[in-house]
Formats: sequence, C-alpha cells, structure tokens
Amino acid sequence: MLFKLIKPKLLSSRNSLNARVLLRRAPFFAIGFVFWILLYIGTCKFLSFVRGIDFAGEVLSAKLLSMTFFGLTGFLVLSNVITAISSFYLSKDITFLLTKPVADRDILRLKSLETVMNSSWMVLSFIPPVFLAYGVTYHASAVYYISISSAFIMLVILTGGIGISIAHMLTQFFPARHTRLVLLGVGMLLFLLLYFTMKSVMPRTLETPEDIVRTFMSFNTDSPLLPGYWITETVLPLLRGKGPDMFYSLVLLSNCAFFLLLSSAIGRRLFRKNIGRLQPSGRGPGNGLFSGIYPGRKSALPYKDILIFFRDTGQWSQVTIIGALVMVYIYNFKSVPVEAMAELTPFIKELMLLVNMLMAGLVLSAVTARFLYTAVSLEGQAFWIIRTTPVNISGFLRAKFLYGCTAITLLIVPVVFFTNLAIRVTGGLMYVSVGTALMLCVSVSGLGTGMGAIYPKFRYANIASVSMSLGGMAFMVLAFSLVVITLSLEAWLFYVSQAGLDLAGKIQIAVCLALIGAINAAAFFLPMKIGAKRLSEFEA
Amino acid sequence: MIGLGNISKAFDGIYAVKNLSITVGKGEVFGLVGPNGAGKTTTIRMMTGLLKPDEGTANMGGYSITDEPLKAKAILGYVPDRAFLYEKLTAREFLTFIASLYDIEKQEALRRIETLTAVFGIRDIEDELIESFSQGMRQRLLFSSALIHNPEVLLIDEPFMGLDPFGVRMLKGFIGNLSAKGVTVFLVTHSLHIAEEVCHRVGFINKGLLTSIKSADEFRTIEGGLEGLFLSMGD
Repeated sequence: MLFKLIKPKLLSSRNSLNARVLLRRAPFFAIGFVFWILLYIGTCKFLSFVRGIDFAGEVLSAKLLSMTFFGLTGFLVLSNVITAISSFYLSKDITFLLTKPVADRDILRLKSLETVMNSSWMVLSFIPPVFLAYGVTYHASAVYYISISSAFIMLVILTGGIGISIAHMLTQFFPARHTRLVLLGVGMLLFLLLYFTMKSVMPRTLETPEDIVRTFMSFNTDSPLLPGYWITETVLPLLRGKGPDMFYSLVLLSNCAFFLLLSSAIGRRLFRKNIGRLQPSGRGPGNGLFSGIYPGRKSALPYKDILIFFRDTGQWSQVTIIGALVMVYIYNFKSVPVEAMAELTPFIKELMLLVNMLMAGLVLSAVTARFLYTAVSLEGQAFWIIRTTPVNISGFLRAKFLYGCTAITLLIVPVVFFTNLAIRVTGGLMYVSVGTALMLCVSVSGLGTGMGAIYPKFRYANIASVSMSLGGMAFMVLAFSLVVITLSLEAWLFYVSQAGLDLAGKIQIAVCLALIGAINAAAFFLPMKIGAKRLSEFEA
Repeated sequence: MIGLGNISKAFDGIYAVKNLSITVGKGEVFGLVGPNGAGKTTTIRMMTGLLKPDEGTANMGGYSITDEPLKAKAILGYVPDRAFLYEKLTAREFLTFIASLYDIEKQEALRRIETLTAVFGIRDIEDELIESFSQGMRQRLLFSSALIHNPEVLLIDEPFMGLDPFGVRMLKGFIGNLSAKGVTVFLVTHSLHIAEEVCHRVGFINKGLLTSIKSADEFRTIEGGLEGLFLSMGD
C-alpha cells in the first residue's frame, strides 16, 4: 500500500522532469557543485591545520567530528518536528487520504517518509564533502565511507522518529484549533533547550587563552547517551586505521529501530484524535490590527500580506525559532572574552567583527530564504488575482521587497549593532559594519525576492518546503557568497588602509569600493528585473 | 466591447484554440459552450491575460490585453472556474483588498462592499475566514470581488458551479440586470439550459475551433434548443 501511495508522487516527479526543466535547473546544480568543491577544500585545509596543532591536534579533530554530529542531531530533530507538524496535520493531501480506503498505518508511513525526506535532504546534500574530507585527510579505507554513510542514514531515521513522536505529542498537548500555539511551543522549547545548553557549557570565567581552549573541549557533545557519540565511536577507529566498533554500530541500529517503532505507535494512538481537533473552525479571526483600515492601492499588497502572515500558523514556528536563535547568538557574543583572546592575535576586535558580520550574513541569508524567497510563491494558486487585476508586476515585486526588506533590516541591523557593542566595537568600525549590514539587507532582499519570482512555486504542500527547494538552496549559497565577497573586499580595504595610503593603496580602495557597489547593485537589480519579466510572462 | 481576432494558443505543439474570432457588443451576454477540452477555458484565460495568445489579438473595451494590460484589466471583471482565494483573509478583508487594487475611493469602496455582500448573501459571514467557506459561498464572494469596480466587461468561467437553486436564480437575474446596464458578459458554461435563458448569442467551440454562433432567436426556435445543437456537434 505504501508504494501505491508514493507512486503518484514518483510519477509526478517523473512527469515534471523534461529537458526544459533540467536546463532551468542546471544553474542550481552548478552552484551546488561549486559549493561542494569549496566545502571539501575548506574542510580539508581546516582539518590539516587542526591536526597540525601540537599535542591537541588529533583530539581537536575528533572533537570537531563529534560536535558536527551533535549539531546535526539537534538540527535534524528540530527540522523533523516542524516538518512533521506540517506534513501530518497541515498538508493539503490529508483530507484526500482520510476519505479514501487507506489504513491509518499506511498514511502514517507515507507521512513519516515524507517528513524524513523533506527535513533531511538539505543535510544529506551538503554533508558528503565534510565526510569525504575526513576520509581523504586520514587516508581512510572504503570501509570508512560505507560505515559513515550507513551510520548517517541511521541518524536521519532515528532523528526522524524522535521528531515525529514529539510532533504528535505537541499537537495532542496543545488545545484544539490552536495550532499556532503548538508551533509556538516548539519554538519556545527549542529556545529554552538551546539557552540552557549554552549556559551550562560556558564556564564562569574566561580570562586566559587556556580557558577558551578548555571551553571548546568542555562542550558536552560526548555523552554516551547521544547518537552523535555512537557515530563518532563507530567511525573514529576506521579513520585511525583500526576495525569498526560493532558495539556502537549496534547501539545506533537498535535505537534507530526503536524510535521508528515509537513514532509509529504514538502516531497510531494520537493521529486521528489530533486531526479532528485541527479542522478549520469557521470562526472569525476577531478584530485584528487592521480592522477598519482601508489601505489604498499602494498599501494594498502589504495590507494583505501582513494579515495573512499573522494568521498563517506555518509562519509562526519559523519566526519563533529565528527569534530564539538570534537571542542565543547575541547571548554568545555577549560572553565572548575579547580581552583574553587579545593575547592570541593583535587584531582580535577586527577579527571578531568579521566573524560577527559573517554570522549575521548567514542569518540574513537564511531568514531571506525563508521569508523573501518564498514571498511570491506565498501567493499560491490565488496568484490569478494579481494577474487579472490592474497590478503592475514590477510594482507587485517592489511591494514584496519593501515589506520583507523592512522587516529583515529591523532584525539584522540591531543584531549587528548590539553584538558589536558586546565585543566593544565602536566609532568608525561600528559605522562601517552597520552600513554594510544595511547594504547587504537591501541587496540580499532584492536577490531573494527576484530569485523567488524567477523560480516561483505556486503549488506547495507547505511554504517552508519552497525555501528548502533546489532554488531556495541555490539562493542561500548565492546570498552567502555575496556576503562573503562583500566582507572580503571590506577586509582588504581595512588591510590596505592600515598599511598606509600611497597612490597604489588609494587605487585599490577605489576599486574595492566600486566592486562592492557594483556587485551589490547587480545582486539587487538583475534578479528583480528578470523576476518581474518572468512573472509577467508566467502561464499556468 | 470584446474583440477576439484570430487568436490561437498551442501547448507543446497541439492547438488548444485555433484562429478564434468573436466580437461581442456592449451590454450583450455571450455564451461559449463546448465539450470538455474544447478550448473554452483557454479562450477566457487569454482574454484575462493569464495566458498570452501565440497569434491574434484580444481587445477588451478597445484595449489590447497584451499591449495595454493594465487599462484592459481595469475594466474587466473575472470569475474563474476554480475558486482559489486567500484562505486566511475574511470575506470583507478580501473585498477591501480587491477594491484597493482598483484604487476605489474609501467611502465608495465601503458602500459597494455593503451592497455586494447583501446582494450575494454573504453579509452574515463576511467576517469569517475564507478557508471555512463552502464552494457556493466562495462563488458568491468571487462574484462580489469581480463586480466591486463596476466592470464594463465581465468574464465568467462556469458561473453556476457550486451555487444552490436560490443562488442560480439570483445570478441569472443579476446577469440580466448587468446587461441592461450596458455591461458586456462573456460566459463559458456547460449548463446549456441556463445559457439558453441568459445569453443573447452562443458560440460553439470544439477541438479549439469555433464551429458556429447562434443568436437567441435561432437556438430558441430549433428543436431541442441548445442541448440539441450541442449534442449534434458530437455526431
């Protein structure tokens, strides 16, 4: 039966694949391939550097692997919780499936498979270069590659089982007709989990470089109760040229089977009950923020988008999670021991500023992918309304950009400002970094809105899947590349200005400034222009 | 008011509509009927600008839908066959949004919303989310939104889908009133008996080709009426 249920999806995928589609997706594959190569080279170089550190090199390298699996476990569990709520309870095919002679067990299997695939494909796509780099650096045998691949697939299934079980229980726990609260709850739980984890692993004093190394080593990712530890213990001996540790392989396998069965048992018990609670109530939303407001033509689109945004449960979980992550991020920077680290390098403040800007750029890219890349697709199948009313498509796109860019700027610029204050960056560097953040907010928002219009996806099961699509991933890579290029040019500007300003230096500064302006302007204007053209020619 | 000149549209090399020419006058109610897959919806979608004709011209009130789309759309009202709407808006918010897109002055927009929600019987549920609406209520809301800017041309794809008998009767009367006020109505339907009642002329389309156009006087005098004509197309 499961195959019968999957078959329509497989056939849909096959039918939608033709030469034209493959050609349109070719740039994404190219971007992904380049990213793979860069990630592989970067990991190899970093591993070589770490392993070269006297005494602690090998320990640190193993620690990094352990931390990678620790982080991936957390990410995959969270991703599965969010995806499972959408997939099991909010997706559009649920009503269809429930009205057909299909056993609940088969619906649960189908949705579990969908959840695991949708929430882990991104990690599955991007992690291989890291594993490959470890294997190549350690000259590992073929057994290592087979072992780490199967261990990782088991981790994906295991985290899927945990995530799906949590999703069913959360949906059961929160009151009927309040799915928003369910999703809000997920976000809050995550925030508390992250907050207390961070707080517990940070020592009270960070006064010397030794404290920092100790802090790094004290991140408790090595608990034998965690799946990341089991994988690390399975593959580490293989990297060191020994045989595989069968004990931890079996622990991983048995837990994988256990959580799979657990999610199935919980699903059978709660799925029907939860479904009954989540049907639309037909009640009005009450007098909201915009009751009585008449927007006028210029504000019509933001009026509609804001109303929908605050009523769409799918958006809420993401907002909460982003809020939680930003809080943790600011908290982390507040705890950075700048004075202690100054002993490691003289330009520690500038280096920390660069790291801060890179982190902010990563957050900017991720948030833009989730909220601006999806802005056009969010119109869904109601896009005919925009196409048949006297709405200028360029104006429509500009409205999407302005509404999204304003929100993103209000998030990113204060984050940069406050984290800068936390690491005691003031004066010129503060102005430059805040100005850069502002510029990147505009250019990355333009890039996201434009690319979302070039590759719109009006038929989706849940909007989060659009940002996780091939186009969404390509946008993320391009947006973060834009951030990296801009910051690299600015770092070069700083370096040149510190070395003294002769004629050659002045020319380099002028070239760098022109390049920064040109690249960011192109990142904004080109996708917006191409996107408007594509949308106005869109036929469906 | 409506002028279609030799419009054609092909998908993957197969014509959905081929060399179709129709002229519809001011205040006229024109029906396009034909079997499934005949090209009716493709025709109406080209008239709205949702599809671009491969060849030919589509003029609405003197404006070309491809060359002057904003002017053409400003005088068009469109009711599609499938009611995809913004599910998280209430009916009133949806109508407010649509009125804003047409740049209608606030007081006038509010007055029209009051009138249309009353006429189409959705006043009681105007503050409920659209996601909870039945198919019939969605259809009523679609009509309200298509008429909020007092269009000169109304394009309707399967107008009676999902409506109860009260709704059908109300809509038939409403189409007659619009026509009397000079609004041109172009409708695509399978409901031949209703088309027979409301249309001044009916065009028959089959395999993308317009096979004939009959006036009300003609099809009402033929034995079997529109249904007889329609069934004879299959012979």
